[in-house]
Amino acid sequence: MTKFKRILLAAALGLPFAGQAMAQTKIEGLHVWTSASEVGALKVITDKLKTMGFEWQDSAVGGANGANAQQALRTRVAAGNPPAVMQFLGFEGLGWAKEGVLRSLNDLYAKNGWKDALPPVMLQFLQQDDTFFSTPINMHRQNWVWANKAVFDKAGIAIPTSWDELIASAEKLKAIGVTPIAMSDESWQIEELFESMLIDVNGPDFYKKAAIDLDETALSSPEMIKTFELLGKVRGLHDAGFTGRDWAAATNLVANGQAGMQIMGDWAKGEFLAKGMKPGADFLCFPTPTATPNYKFVFDTFGGFKIKNADIEKGQDAVAEAIMDPEVQKKFNLIKGSIPARLDVPMDDFDDCAKRSFSDRVAAIKNNAIYGSLTDGFAVEPRFSGVFQDVVGKFFVTDMSAEDAVKSLVDGINNAR
Amino acid sequence: MSRSTPLSNRIENWLPRLVLAPSLLVVLVAVYLFICWTGWISLSSSMIVPKYDFVGLNQYVRLWSTPRWHTAVFNLFVFSTLFLALTTGLGLLMAILLDQKIRVEGTLRAIFLYPMALSFIVTGTAWKWILNPALGVQKVVNDLGWTSFVFDWIAQPTFAIYCVVIAAVWQSTGFAMAIFLAGLRGIDNSVIKAAQIEGASLPLIYRTIVVPMLRPAFLSVIVLLSYIAIKSFDLILALTNTGPGSATEMPSTFMYSATFRRDQMGVGAASAMMMLMTVAAIIVPYLYSELKESRDGQ
Repeated sequence: MTKFKRILLAAALGLPFAGQAMAQTKIEGLHVWTSASEVGALKVITDKLKTMGFEWQDSAVGGANGANAQQALRTRVAAGNPPAVMQFLGFEGLGWAKEGVLRSLNDLYAKNGWKDALPPVMLQFLQQDDTFFSTPINMHRQNWVWANKAVFDKAGIAIPTSWDELIASAEKLKAIGVTPIAMSDESWQIEELFESMLIDVNGPDFYKKAAIDLDETALSSPEMIKTFELLGKVRGLHDAGFTGRDWAAATNLVANGQAGMQIMGDWAKGEFLAKGMKPGADFLCFPTPTATPNYKFVFDTFGGFKIKNADIEKGQDAVAEAIMDPEVQKKFNLIKGSIPARLDVPMDDFDDCAKRSFSDRVAAIKNNAIYGSLTDGFAVEPRFSGVFQDVVGKFFVTDMSAEDAVKSLVDGINNAR
Repeated sequence: MSRSTPLSNRIENWLPRLVLAPSLLVVLVAVYLFICWTGWISLSSSMIVPKYDFVGLNQYVRLWSTPRWHTAVFNLFVFSTLFLALTTGLGLLMAILLDQKIRVEGTLRAIFLYPMALSFIVTGTAWKWILNPALGVQKVVNDLGWTSFVFDWIAQPTFAIYCVVIAAVWQSTGFAMAIFLAGLRGIDNSVIKAAQIEGASLPLIYRTIVVPMLRPAFLSVIVLLSYIAIKSFDLILALTNTGPGSATEMPSTFMYSATFRRDQMGVGAASAMMMLMTVAAIIVPYLYSELKESRDGQ
């Protein structure tokens, strides 16, 4: 009797423990995705994670272009309570890797041959001193023009092949009473335009020297002045209501025909698709015009913080494996509007814009014409890209001369070094 | 029996100190300790996370070589001066007018005070639309027939800061009015009556008797408004987001972007110390003179 009771008791006590072991380990992920398509895309990863036996504990911190999430992360790392997994853009992950707080994923990279599946140009953002610390899920292209096809047809405009042609078509749009270029006076949106001109007009090699190596001769060169002068030509080609406009609001102006085109990364595509518009038929997507084809990228990665807990470490590995799963990358990017980070994902189910992005990427890798976007933090560290943003933003909204702009750019970069 | 009296006395002596001790401790740690910590960081080479080395005044040199910081300091000066002058002036005027024993005073007071109930984010967003030339005032006037009317200050780098002043004054005037009104109600009517009997005109009475008697109210209003002016952060972010082209940058937004967006924690800390010194340079002498006089008066 007593023995039986004891067994019962042990069973009763043991069961909850057994149950806990069966329950899925929670893996907390801090990220900035809050819009409908972003949340939908993330669900592809978390669903996969669930089948691998881990539950995603969502910590979304949106707002302020990711600055809020960075602030939250800093506080938590300082308090010794980092999230298991964190989303990184640009140099953010490298900064933390240098602090030595991120877990190495070298074993997984070696075991699965991930290094060879990714564009080589990505690797510098995924590793610090030969230690891989994050995995990329996607790749956005920054240098796109989004245009309303009906408006283009009405004004009799073909797809421009140079920036001069693009500006000439903008004048035609103005003549038929349409806002030529949908934009905002927010400095970063102006910088999207500027950095496209910088690489398109001067070529990828110059872009690398000026915007990535921050070479002082290149920064103060006549080419730089020429680029600012070109940007100056766009000054009158927007509407009066561009103050403080959200990028998505600008995209919507193009979508509903109030404006002709927008220069923005392919996160803008979702706004057209959400209205049921079809690429090629209702809206056009084409790379910013240039004689030297190039590809400017932005991508999202996830890395894990060092946490002394074997279950969480397994979970961090599972997140990395889920992200690098070709099927997950395909489904994720169909929703998010970007293309898979992996080079070996079949593109058959994607739309024409994504297919174009994919094939242009292959060509750009071959021609050494693929570089990180300056505005979105993939060219230089934020303290430098901030200077570009300050100068370009100020130049555009004032009557500053191109020479003065170049001078304050050089001074600002040197001051931030 | 004989020992209970000293005990209750002792409790009476210690109770205020006991009650104040936790808040004093919190203030010491959360305010003064962190001021010292920020000062220390401003002398270090900290970038993404704090680093405890010493680089002298390098970060201050870097700060003062940043044109955006000059804009921020200039804007703070323009904004605070105009904001304080307009809010205090309009608030006082409204309080005096409301104090004339008018009929719907309660309703009017509520209407004027209502903007204070909004957060600066709401005020900023609303005024962003009102001031947008394609949506707000300019469009309304244009649609009414006056097509050449232009009011696009918010798009003009030289005028955008005045838009921030307009929104901030709109929000805070009611608050200043409420404090002045309370001050006016505290003034003994017999003083005014005596002056009237002496034949003084109403404007003269207000200028020479009533307004000087409102000194404590002025102290509260000025201290509270300066603090709103210096920490004006949410209003800027919602209204202009420091644009166009950093034209409405403020020290507070500069500090935030340096520390959290641009990985320049040392520069951010240096800018915070500059803000503290500026505030201290203005507020401390003012508080000192005001509080000293009141103590002398007693």
